[in-house]
Amino acid sequence: MKKMTTRIGLLMFAALPGALQAQFDFTIAGHDVQIHSFASQGFAYSNDNNYLTMDTSQGSFAMTDGGVNASIRLTDKFRIGAQVYDRNVGVLGKWHPQLDWAVADYKFKDWFGIRGGVVKTVFGLENDTQDMDFLHTFALLPQSVYPTDLRDANIRHRGGDIYGQIPLKNFGSLAYTAFAGMREDSAYGGYPYLLTANGGNLTSYGGLQVGEDLRWNTPLKGLLVGASHEGEDITGRGTWTLAFPGQPPMTMAYEEHSNRDWTNQFYGQYTIGNLRLASEYRRYWRDQVIFNNTWEVTTDVRGWYASAAYRVNRHLEFGSYYSRWVNSWFDSMAGLVEAPSQSSPDRHLYDKVITARVDVNSHWNVKIEGHFMDGYGSPGMYPDGFYTQDNAQGLKPKTNLLIVRTGFNF
Amino acid sequence: MKNLKHFFITAALCGFAATSVRAAEIKVIANSSIGTSSVSAEELKGVFLATKTSLSDGSHVEPVLLKSGAAHEAFVKQYLGKTDAALETYYRSLVFTGKGSMPKALASDAEVVGYVAKTKGAIGYVSAGASTEGVKALEVK
Repeated sequence: MKKMTTRIGLLMFAALPGALQAQFDFTIAGHDVQIHSFASQGFAYSNDNNYLTMDTSQGSFAMTDGGVNASIRLTDKFRIGAQVYDRNVGVLGKWHPQLDWAVADYKFKDWFGIRGGVVKTVFGLENDTQDMDFLHTFALLPQSVYPTDLRDANIRHRGGDIYGQIPLKNFGSLAYTAFAGMREDSAYGGYPYLLTANGGNLTSYGGLQVGEDLRWNTPLKGLLVGASHEGEDITGRGTWTLAFPGQPPMTMAYEEHSNRDWTNQFYGQYTIGNLRLASEYRRYWRDQVIFNNTWEVTTDVRGWYASAAYRVNRHLEFGSYYSRWVNSWFDSMAGLVEAPSQSSPDRHLYDKVITARVDVNSHWNVKIEGHFMDGYGSPGMYPDGFYTQDNAQGLKPKTNLLIVRTGFNF
Repeated sequence: MKNLKHFFITAALCGFAATSVRAAEIKVIANSSIGTSSVSAEELKGVFLATKTSLSDGSHVEPVLLKSGAAHEAFVKQYLGKTDAALETYYRSLVFTGKGSMPKALASDAEVVGYVAKTKGAIGYVSAGASTEGVKALEVK
């Protein structure tokens, strides 16, 4: 009896997403309204170092996110919609929901459309979909290009896009997006968290981003190549608390701003049958004046990955990727010098990953993923998944990480 | 000998399955509001990947799909160059980034024909043997 009850419960649980999907499309004044949602829950365990602000060395379930959206097509050319997103990954997000996107989109022609509001930023292969666990083979996208702790840096802008697709007859087609808008980071992102280790408390961080993406669907069936570029002018404000031995802490106003920040990304993807190959390279140049115009910090972050994923059948997919991230930095403050060689563990983070994804049905998937990491980036200088305040015992040069993650989409 | 027999039976079954998919020839159909009687393969692909909302003659189009079946799989593979799972992932990436809506998907040829017949600009596909009363057939060039 107990076994039968358990089986019925599991079947009902599996059927629930499909039932919910059927219920959440309706009509208002003759216009179809679509409502969709997603959620994921993960478990992460590492052998030594704690990763992505989670207590992974003890095993952590603090890896939850989800979102819900609604959209309506008002005319053949005009759509509006919005999505709310929330996450709690260690101390990232901390259950502070965000307006993920809210757009009005008008398509004049197939080759020219405009969208405005809070817009997901088209950049590289996966930037605008990086939160959607159910869309990806991997439980964690390559952090060299899509760092979870720096999600806010590139994920959306409050502004607008122009976009379109231009057919090239025998040469495939070109899809372009040009965007401009304001970046507004959450107070619960990786960079504010990084600064808290030394007394920083950022209350605002953001600024103007202007960029473009151009991708070519080549005449070779299944091959896509592209490039993205972005320049930004960022300002951060808050407070900084300085502590001196024998003295009471002193809190002062804090400001930092860009001299010159930009990001370039190049990418390619090839799909043939059930096999998908992808590779991306990103370079982020950050030149900031910090501590109220006191000194300058430059970081030159370069990352790339190569991945392969193979779908065996509707229920099973395997994937693997190799990710490399290196950081070169300069701090004009006397006494701060980077390690001379990129082979030093505080100059790089290399990651070898293998994944199995099981699709229980079209709404529910489970992933099991292993990471074999070499290096820990440059903690204290730039967010890279490893934070000194989470690893008081000191960082070990290698980290093995297991992630089990389940996701739903309706 | 037994293993050899199993191999040939398996090979025959695989061949039969492949033949069944090819044999599920597809008819592309459209609402009578669409002016043209033919469409290029590239246009058809653009319509069903939501990159085109009108045909070369200016007709606004709205795609409608079959949810599953041999005709659906053949259409998705032949004209869109994707697997069914990859197509579903593609549509969801549009929906969850605010760049598109999930297209209409219906369970049977009869439902697709009925929807296309009554919906201005609708374009769909059915198996070759389906009745297409009330809609026009489009030649794919």
